[in-house]
Amino acid sequence: MEVMRLVVTGPVGAGKSTFIRSVSEIEVVDTDRQATDETANLKAKTTVAFDFGRLQFGPDMALHLYGTPGQARFDFMWNILIQKAHAYMLLVAAHRSDEFYYARRILNFIKQRSQIPMIIGLTYTDSPDAWDEETISLALGYTHAGQHPPIIAVDARQRASVAQAVLTLVQHLMQSQGCLV
Amino acid sequence: MAINTEKLGVVLQNFVTATNDVQGAALVTPDGLPLAACLPGGMDDERVSAMSAAILSLGERIGTELSRGGIDRIYVEGNQGYAILTSCGDDAVFLVLASASAKQGILMLEIKRSISELKLLLA
Repeated sequence: MEVMRLVVTGPVGAGKSTFIRSVSEIEVVDTDRQATDETANLKAKTTVAFDFGRLQFGPDMALHLYGTPGQARFDFMWNILIQKAHAYMLLVAAHRSDEFYYARRILNFIKQRSQIPMIIGLTYTDSPDAWDEETISLALGYTHAGQHPPIIAVDARQRASVAQAVLTLVQHLMQSQGCLV
Repeated sequence: MAINTEKLGVVLQNFVTATNDVQGAALVTPDGLPLAACLPGGMDDERVSAMSAAILSLGERIGTELSRGGIDRIYVEGNQGYAILTSCGDDAVFLVLASASAKQGILMLEIKRSISELKLLLA
């Protein structure tokens, strides 16, 4: 059985834990604690170590999904999780434009440590305040048109939507590997 | 009543200086923010707090999932010393760093004493 490890990262409240809960076939291992920082304005509980979910993908492949904490004080967890991952998804809430800069910081942190394939997932795209894909990819630092990684809108609460996002990530990973071989 | 952070700091400071082989101590929230800290130079209290919260949450998860019950403390034993995490009420976690030469019995007693003192200040 082959295991593919995928990491879901992004700012606080982007929907990382919800994402993994929506698609996991096992009961998700979560490490939620009551939030006492500015996170508490968004939600009551926050991840402090990681979320872990599992998904069977075809007869001989299992996907292990790891969700990181959002706050930068947990950057050691980003590092630990990314070291063994095969690919990752940066999850960004499309309607919280003030967090794009912070998402870019996460991206830079990971890129300095790992060159694995990645895609961008946008949540809350149905919100009236949501920015469009191109503008967000610009805000994340992809200044050349058409040179950004795949971007996919995802509703973290919907299993089908999350499954589609995971599939896109796996396909992107396979394509990148195909280029290397 | 507001939490007296200055007093928390004094309790930690006293604990670290008065207990043999204890090199540092910190009181952190369960979501990884520092409440008070007295740590060796070069250790960042924000980072230490986040790490404490992460390992405690995993430890508690192991406690429930692998039927070990409620977690009293988490022990990290390295060849240069110990890191001991003890929960201190619902709103705080107490981290103690001690050298390898520390006597564990004394350490446990002193931790227990400090915790009852800290709990009073947090109440």
